[in-house]
Amino acid sequence: MRRASGIFDTSYIQDMTIFRTKYYSAGMVLLILFFLILPFFVRDFWLAFISSTAVTVIALQGLNILSGYCGQISIGHTAFMAVGAYSSTILAAQFGVPLVLCLPFGGLGAAFIGLLFGLPSLRVKGYYLALTTIAAQYLIIYVIKTPFPEVTGGAIALNVPALKIGNFEFQTERHFYYFVLVMLALMTFFAKSLMRGHVGRAFVAIRDNDIASEAMGINLYQYKLLAFFIGCFYAGIAGALWAAYSRVISPDDFTLMGSIWYIGMLIIGGVGGTLGPFSGALFIGALREICVIVGPYISSMIPQIGAQISASLVEMTFGITIILFLVFEPRGISHRWEIMKESYRLWPFSY
Amino acid sequence: MITFVQLLISGISVGFIYGLIAVGFVLIYKSSQIFNFAQGEMVMFGAFLVWAFLNLSIPPVLAILLVLGIVALAGYGLERFPLRPMIGQPILATIMITMGIGVFLRGLALLLWSHNIGIKYQPIITEKTLYIFTVPVSNVTIGIFFFGLILVILLSLFFNRSRSGLHMRAAAESHQLAQSMGIRVTRAIAQSWAIAGVVATLGGFLLGYVRGIDFGLTDIGLVAVAAALVGGLESLKGAILGGVIMGVAQTFTGGYIGYGLKEVIPFLIMVFVLIFKPYGLFGLVKIERV
Repeated sequence: MRRASGIFDTSYIQDMTIFRTKYYSAGMVLLILFFLILPFFVRDFWLAFISSTAVTVIALQGLNILSGYCGQISIGHTAFMAVGAYSSTILAAQFGVPLVLCLPFGGLGAAFIGLLFGLPSLRVKGYYLALTTIAAQYLIIYVIKTPFPEVTGGAIALNVPALKIGNFEFQTERHFYYFVLVMLALMTFFAKSLMRGHVGRAFVAIRDNDIASEAMGINLYQYKLLAFFIGCFYAGIAGALWAAYSRVISPDDFTLMGSIWYIGMLIIGGVGGTLGPFSGALFIGALREICVIVGPYISSMIPQIGAQISASLVEMTFGITIILFLVFEPRGISHRWEIMKESYRLWPFSY
Repeated sequence: MITFVQLLISGISVGFIYGLIAVGFVLIYKSSQIFNFAQGEMVMFGAFLVWAFLNLSIPPVLAILLVLGIVALAGYGLERFPLRPMIGQPILATIMITMGIGVFLRGLALLLWSHNIGIKYQPIITEKTLYIFTVPVSNVTIGIFFFGLILVILLSLFFNRSRSGLHMRAAAESHQLAQSMGIRVTRAIAQSWAIAGVVATLGGFLLGYVRGIDFGLTDIGLVAVAAALVGGLESLKGAILGGVIMGVAQTFTGGYIGYGLKEVIPFLIMVFVLIFKPYGLFGLVKIERV
């Protein structure tokens, strides 16, 4: 990584520091301040957009660890979110545990189910593993829908208890906004720290070549399962947060399409970095909102097109965006952003 | 006993369709090492496209041939963009590019046909009940059985006897070797995409004829992918066998246990087969070196 002119790293600690210069720190403080005072200036629509994007980013961080760092492709991410959402909701509704305390349990529940579906990763990899995670998607949703309808609510929606800390109840968009953003900051910090340590290095080694990394003394099974555990833990937390935020969940919220969207967002944002999930979720979220807004205009202009113009527009643009990104910028928006920073630093002699 | 035989026969006839779709999937994998996750969407889109063309006032046979031609051309085009740049890319990229195609097809189908709910094809043959050794079987099931069988035989003849079929098999073995023998590998890959599209459309047509046309056909296309994995990715007869296994398993669970499990059982079977035989029943066992 290139520093600004005149700043030299003379030790590894300096090289690894996140906030190397005071501009970085100042920028971070400004960013935090911006998000703190934002709710006093904008409409609830924007707060809802930021909250749902933040939940998506948490899920994407998990997927990034699992598929981006460790290379174990998962196309069943929303199913693991469903496990988190349902386990925390059932714990809160059936046993009267406060929902805040259920969030980590939702994460853990998803993590253990993820371990179960990570087991085939010991035998198969690549495409085959991707298909077993698709199987996870179908199996988990089936278990939610069919065998125990009195617990999981079957195919019908399940109501989620209110989120409270002590006597304070989270009711408005603003309350949730702060809560979700704090969670996002915590989870991002955790992910970043973990991926900078030996665990992250082992994951990257496994992604690049698993046989070589095994020969170099990395316990393959342990680390692959750890990747599934962490990735699905994040999915579970995101699912539980989503349940607490939307107050009602049903199996139809967690579809295979949703999982495909998550991988798409990761690819568009950039795989294997902390910035990727943020930029991907923001880009696709914005694209989706634009399509939802533009859709009705088009259908009023050309009325003979079906009623689902917004939905189809969203999917078509998403498909095309993924294809274009994969062909022309496979490393995603965050890579493009790095290039822009580089060329800014080297200006006027950028190349 | 009668139910058992009935379920078995309808399972095998559905299984042939799955096998047919799985053959398209295996073809693409063999020729270009790309997993086509859009196979389900291709099945769904093909079924809708056939329906749309049958509604035009042209003879039905001509309409179906026209659709097959269009789909084959589209397969050819898909190879040029976006699939040719994807050869040799990381797995995540190749998975996502086919999924991107799938999502796009799905969006297009939503745009064109989302208001057509509960549509069916015009019946081509009048439905009758035949008796085979006192077991009542619908003649549609038997018709599909034989149609599937004929298509499978035609496909295997194509691969074993025809010039371009041999080219495709050579390209599947090794791109470099095939190229040095004067075979155009890109053309072989494009042909395999065209055949996969045609086969998926035919499968969608047959499945749609049995169960009606809707967006659920996508999931059924994915069942065919699972069937290809169970059979082993390198083998065409494995794909057919996997399809039959899936079809029979589905009709039996649907007949004896319940509808919910019917949708999941193929994936359950797939996970178990992958755990115990990671390369499927007929697949080549790969030995990896660093």
